[in-house]
Amino acid sequence: MSAHRIANACRLNGAATVNFTFDGKPYQGKAGDSLASALLANGVVLMGRSFKYHRPRGLLGAGAEEPNALVSVDRGGGRFTPNLRATAVEIHEGLDARSQNRWPSLETDFGSINDRLGRFFPAGFYNKTFMWPRSFWEKLYEPSIRRMAGLGDAPSDPDPDVYDATYAHCDVLIVGAGPAGIDAALAASASKKKVFLIDEQDELGGGALADPALWGWLAESLKDLARLPNVTLLPRTTAFGYYHDNFIGAVERLTDHLPDPGHQAREKLWRIRAGEVVLAQGAIERPLVFEGNDVPGVMLAGAARTYLHRFGVAVGSRVALMATHDSGWKDLFALARAGVGVAVIVDLRESVDPALLAEAAELGLRVELGSAVIGVSGRLAVTGIEIARADGSGRHKLACDAVLMAGGWTPSVHLWSHSLGKLEWSEEWGAYLPGKANENVRCVGACGGNWSFGSGVHVGQLPTPKNPALLKAFVDFQNDVTAKDIALAIREGMKSVEHIKRYTTNGMATDQGKTSNLNALQLASSALDRPVQAIGLTTFRPPYTPQTFGALAGHAKDALFQPTRKSPIDSWAEAQGAVFEPVAQWRRARYFPRTGEDMHAAVNRECLAVREGVGIFDASTLGKIEVVGPDAAEFLNRMYTNPWKQLEPGRCRYGLLLREDGFITDDGVSARMAPDRFHLTTTTGGAARVLNMMEDYLQTEWPDLNVWLTSTTEQYAVIALQGPKTREVIAPLVEGIDLSSDAFPHMAVREGTICGVPTRLFRVSFTGELGFEINVPAAYGLHVWKQVWEAGQAHGITPYGTETMHVLRAEKGFIIVGQDTDGTVTPYDAGLDWAVGKKKPDFVGKRSLARPDIVASGRKQLVGLLTDDPNEVLIEGAQIVADPKQAIPMTMIGHVTSSYWSATLGRSIAMALVAGGFDRMGETLHIPSASGKTHTAKVVKPMFYDAEGSRLNG
Amino acid sequence: MADAAVRTAPVPAEAAEFPGVSIALGAPLARWSLRARDPKALAKAIGHKVPGTIGETLGGMACLGPDEWLLRLPEGASIPLGEGLPLSVVDISERAVTLVLDGDRAIDALSAGCPRDLSKFPVGYATRTIFETVEIVLIRESETRWSVDVWRSFAPYLWTALTTAASHLR
Repeated sequence: MSAHRIANACRLNGAATVNFTFDGKPYQGKAGDSLASALLANGVVLMGRSFKYHRPRGLLGAGAEEPNALVSVDRGGGRFTPNLRATAVEIHEGLDARSQNRWPSLETDFGSINDRLGRFFPAGFYNKTFMWPRSFWEKLYEPSIRRMAGLGDAPSDPDPDVYDATYAHCDVLIVGAGPAGIDAALAASASKKKVFLIDEQDELGGGALADPALWGWLAESLKDLARLPNVTLLPRTTAFGYYHDNFIGAVERLTDHLPDPGHQAREKLWRIRAGEVVLAQGAIERPLVFEGNDVPGVMLAGAARTYLHRFGVAVGSRVALMATHDSGWKDLFALARAGVGVAVIVDLRESVDPALLAEAAELGLRVELGSAVIGVSGRLAVTGIEIARADGSGRHKLACDAVLMAGGWTPSVHLWSHSLGKLEWSEEWGAYLPGKANENVRCVGACGGNWSFGSGVHVGQLPTPKNPALLKAFVDFQNDVTAKDIALAIREGMKSVEHIKRYTTNGMATDQGKTSNLNALQLASSALDRPVQAIGLTTFRPPYTPQTFGALAGHAKDALFQPTRKSPIDSWAEAQGAVFEPVAQWRRARYFPRTGEDMHAAVNRECLAVREGVGIFDASTLGKIEVVGPDAAEFLNRMYTNPWKQLEPGRCRYGLLLREDGFITDDGVSARMAPDRFHLTTTTGGAARVLNMMEDYLQTEWPDLNVWLTSTTEQYAVIALQGPKTREVIAPLVEGIDLSSDAFPHMAVREGTICGVPTRLFRVSFTGELGFEINVPAAYGLHVWKQVWEAGQAHGITPYGTETMHVLRAEKGFIIVGQDTDGTVTPYDAGLDWAVGKKKPDFVGKRSLARPDIVASGRKQLVGLLTDDPNEVLIEGAQIVADPKQAIPMTMIGHVTSSYWSATLGRSIAMALVAGGFDRMGETLHIPSASGKTHTAKVVKPMFYDAEGSRLNG
Repeated sequence: MADAAVRTAPVPAEAAEFPGVSIALGAPLARWSLRARDPKALAKAIGHKVPGTIGETLGGMACLGPDEWLLRLPEGASIPLGEGLPLSVVDISERAVTLVLDGDRAIDALSAGCPRDLSKFPVGYATRTIFETVEIVLIRESETRWSVDVWRSFAPYLWTALTTAASHLR
């Protein structure tokens, strides 16, 4: 293996060899390697191109904080994931990883011209430059900028993977399995509590994985925890969000690390409700801001130690350290003791702990105190650094192939912030620490400020004798924000960190400033000469790290995206070749085409069959509510516009339901089954809404009424038979009911049996023909339907769908709530005065019907339209004008609500809402069409067929 | 009631078997939604003991709310409708079907989409809750056996959701 792999003292000793590719080139790594460590082991330091300037970038970190090394992974078959951090990708046999945001290659990227021109692209450049001309934005500027500045490509194929999801509950949820998290788990588990310990990495241990002194303890502890039945260990699981009442969202990665995932779910969404949450998220090391701090090979000191001890990879052979904090010295000592060559230790501080100096001396390391790195040479990889004393004197250069930065530590308070816990500034840490909790949560270890990394100083930017206006010293690596950009934002008047963030994009996007927020705050604090606390802190929001849409959707894709409700007769309709349409969550048969028929032909045939013979229609989806109790009639009398108290048992009535504002919200025919029992029907889409509305009134306005509501929509299958031959079809099947017109008039209900099944048989009609609606218990719906179908063969029975139902009712001028009404139509507007009980003391919406604008003239009213050309079928939704010659924009006086070809009448018919429509009877109105032609139509009453209703009562 | 042979159900008649859990359509039941202010008056009217606390079940009757009960009896059973009394008895026998989950892992399949802490759900307890977006009435019949009543048209969704979840159990 390569020269970068250190033989001993690493956790991958003896691990199997794994073959993978990066940008198509084959490499070998070890089982347990991250893509980052495996590439480093192969001497690859260039892993990405930056977002804006396309600068060559290598690794900054070794964990979730990595802002630079973003890669795409293609798992084949459309399984493409962009923007993965190379530090979080586990290698496996056959892994196909690719770099991003470069063309034609990572080494030679044309986009890097942006870097040369960078001085012309300061913060706010896009906003200022691409404002004018405005029309160029959509077509030119935005697409070009998006092509140039970006992350990975969005996948273009449907995701073939499946995802799992679950809810889970525990007494204690610990996020982070470093030493502090493991200690917390051991402590909690002793009390028999149900404990979850989750960690985003493939191996539990956190920081302990990079500390050989803790490996013995770690192995023992994990063995103990694995033995305990009350402890659930979840590695490869990222807690991405902390929501109200200790509700944590987490995603477990199940197969991305496997060469062959098989058929199991790729990821699993955990929705965890925890009694107590313990956050042990650790801390993230802070980079230092100096020119060239983004050259590949410049990285965090702690990351170098992780690569060394966990993965056995040396980040260089001649390593320099730039420190303002003790911890970097210790990291470098670890490297030196493992045999890695060291170029120099540079520390900004004039004096440091003598023990550090002694150890450096013992290891023979060169130390330069009171100094700073002021430049880095090399483009695709570090070749050396320039150092100067803090006052700018003593400039000199040194060769090296890696630079470690040790700027101190930032506690990870992401989830704490999601939970709305308070943050308090700590001078010692130079960072915000958790303060007062908002949930039952506590922070342990480094994320709570309870960890010793040693001491240090916190500076915004390292001192340099160079011209600050020409420096490229990066603060936010992922968003390409430099110290200069922060300074510019402040010069332009931004004082709050919220404004600085939005002006510069510092701390934005997927990493939310994990490595940049505090440095930006320090810079702003220095420039504004105000304490950091006065600058503010931007808010962390879920997700903590990017998660896949697939995981968040869980099971909710394809058939499980949402329920498709089907009636008990749906399977018969499907077998008959019905074309379906969605109505609310239901799917309903729209029409039943015969071979060679289009919708128009099928609907014409179905309409005529109903008018001349008998049609059968599945009305099962109609909403149904059983209203029961001594006050049932009183309740309905208050809800509906018309009177209900005098309705006799066995009779039906059309009910019109208004909202409090007086506008129609639903309608339906309802039957009184007994003095204290009503069978209500509602529209298909309105079923749940009407029940809610009625419950609302019952519980809040009239809790004194002894009446209860029960949804019976799904208790009954409803078979509507309509047409002059209806009675002949069902007569042989019905027992216990006299079907004669005298005994069973229109708008009545009877109970008996049909085909041996108990039925509530309604004599009602939404077509204008003699009709019955057969209500039977749903499990027997298909059986009865088939019997009726058989019995109807001799009479030419024809199945019809919702489209024919719409035409037939329009011929009679019956409204469809939501089509001919739109939430602004009163009963008077709809011509339904007859359905309003004038003598009733009150009903829902009554007071609103007396409002001045409701009784004003000129309101839009529902009328019929007959086109002068009988063959012209108007487009539903078409606007209507009185004078087609007026100047554009024209005054629109209404619109077409329903429009059909009526096979019965041999011409088109339409309904429309027209201003002052009732007073326009006989007028000719004009309906411009999209084709440019203007149609003319006469205003008529919306009743096109059998106005006297003789067919109903046959 | 008519011949059982002509009944149709919205989910397969065959049970779905997975390691640790089977999912099957339950036998047809007579079901009533019962509403009353006074449990004693209800008990008297229908001749059945009425459980007093929410979640409790007694002889096939579950208390779902302060004034609401669900009575599930073998198919063909009947009870008085309580005409004229200040209560409501509504036949909802065919509104729902029952899916029965049986096995050690039934609790895990249910937890895939039900936000309740089912480990704290006692045997004999019943509640109206949800599975993902679908309303269910969940009854724990024994340590390992659960009944899920779901409205008929939502049953295919629930069947697919539960069998999918069960197939993912590890």
